Amino acid sequence: MDSFDVPDSTDWLQTPLSLLAPLESSLRCQVCKDFFENPVITSCSHTFCSLCIRRCLSAEGKCPVCRSSDQELKLRRNWAVQEFVETFQNARQSVLDLARKEAARLKDGDSVIREPSPKKRKVDRVDVREEATVVQASPRRARTRSQRTKTDAPNSEPVEQETIEVIEDSQDEGEEEYVPDDGMVACPICQRRMKAHAVFSHLDICQGVKAAPPPPSRPSAYRYVFGIGLSLGIEANQVLIVEHSSLQPQPNRLQSSPGKALERLPAMNYSLLKDNLLRKKLRDLGIPDSGPKPLLQRRHTEWMNLWNSNCDSRIPKTKRALLQELEIWERTQGGHAAAPSPFTTNNAVMRKDFDAAGWSASHDTDFKRLIANARIKSDTQVRSTIPGASGKSTAESIGSTTPIAPVEAPLDNSIPVESNRNIEPRGSFDPSG
Amino acid sequence: MGSSIAQKRLFHEYKNLSTNPPEGITAGPVSEDDMFYWEALIQGPEGTPFEGGIFAAELKFSKDYPLSPPTMKFVGGGVWHPNVYPNGTVCISILHPPGDDPNHYEHASERWSPIQSVEKILISVMSMLAEPNDESPANVEAAKMWRERRAEYEQKVRDEVRKGLGL
Repeated sequence: MDSFDVPDSTDWLQTPLSLLAPLESSLRCQVCKDFFENPVITSCSHTFCSLCIRRCLSAEGKCPVCRSSDQELKLRRNWAVQEFVETFQNARQSVLDLARKEAARLKDGDSVIREPSPKKRKVDRVDVREEATVVQASPRRARTRSQRTKTDAPNSEPVEQETIEVIEDSQDEGEEEYVPDDGMVACPICQRRMKAHAVFSHLDICQGVKAAPPPPSRPSAYRYVFGIGLSLGIEANQVLIVEHSSLQPQPNRLQSSPGKALERLPAMNYSLLKDNLLRKKLRDLGIPDSGPKPLLQRRHTEWMNLWNSNCDSRIPKTKRALLQELEIWERTQGGHAAAPSPFTTNNAVMRKDFDAAGWSASHDTDFKRLIANARIKSDTQVRSTIPGASGKSTAESIGSTTPIAPVEAPLDNSIPVESNRNIEPRGSFDPSG
Repeated sequence: MGSSIAQKRLFHEYKNLSTNPPEGITAGPVSEDDMFYWEALIQGPEGTPFEGGIFAAELKFSKDYPLSPPTMKFVGGGVWHPNVYPNGTVCISILHPPGDDPNHYEHASERWSPIQSVEKILISVMSMLAEPNDESPANVEAAKMWRERRAEYEQKVRDEVRKGLGL
């Protein structure tokens, strides 16, 4: 499984820019270890992904860092952090590529030149300055650009100079790459660029969820404007992402599709609700209403967290996308996760990877034994009903392997079929996989 | 597609531990097909009777990790320690969910929280090996021996370590 190659703050450690590792981990949520997604800040001033902290609060009611009590309602969006994360992510790949190249080059260079210690100090100094420039991003763009034109032939420069210039250069390019001045915006899911007003309807049909490889990047100028538009509208607890059309006509067109205003879901006091009423609530919300009451409660809580954290997003996902996420939850933690069979634990998620051949090979002897047992049993039955016919056939089927072989082959095929029977109903819920 | 939050987070932790492992600690999933079952190797801390030993443990994660802590159990036996049950299960505050404190001796701040990690657990266990907490003995016999007959305790630990190494 190549998902082990997740981008991580430790990527920097093998490069001359190892000081970027702590910077990157500070841009990651401490709960999910991923970059902050829709970061929100708690009353105790700790920042998390909206969904992560909502899950923590509904499980425990406390901040995971300092353990002071907090409530969902008090969460506020943290636009500055979101800006940091997005700009950093935009620059990340190109900076990392350069840093890796530089690491390889330094390694070669070291073996030739043989004066490691002064060189290292230089590199360290470079690190500090670079860290500063990367964080500061856009306000200093004018300056960096002029610097870039000054030294545009990197390879002939001395080491120290070159590193600095190249890094700033790459950041600049990164920005340009992500914000072409074409008046278009990118779909937040599949990154395809299109006119602003087309995005919303496209979102309804966009299926490229998360499968699309390019790094998460939305045009930052657009984002910024959008952020202001939104932050003006934050009203205690019923933030609707629409409302200020006069300020930012473009983004608003994107959101104000009729009847789509996102209203936050209130928490429910489950103990006051009878099963049937709760079931009806779930049905009204358009989510599955099966299962015992504790499962209904957990499902509703998860849905509420998914939904409300989506309300914190600048570019909210469609309900269908949220339903898919709920379905993943259902498979991993909800109703479908309960049965402790080898098919449901992992393969419910990874059923495409299910190794039918391996499975039947490793259980071959079991199957053979079962077949043999079944034969003996049916033979004894035959014998008891037709006394005369039995003796010979028993000896044959137990004594030699040949009669077993033809039965074996179809049985091997039937294994995956069985696994499908277990899993298919779930799979049908998930259009992407 | 579609792995759970728990799986993603465990991927991150695995990568972090393999590219930047703390000294004396190795950990990772036993099989890449099952992120919820890990094995860890811990070196006995220097300057303690556990020095020189390598201790294998299994970690089991729940599907709602990191909301709930994993469980940790030394495998292969031979960890004679006040905070390790005779069957190998580790009893240490960081592995206890903050909600329940049946014993009323642990500070909430020492217990599990979603921002803790495998790395922090293993580091805590290492320091637990060095400094047992006899307020909450999981192995009463070992705790008594540690309190009252320290020399005998240390000898027994050393013997177990040597046995574990096949000497």
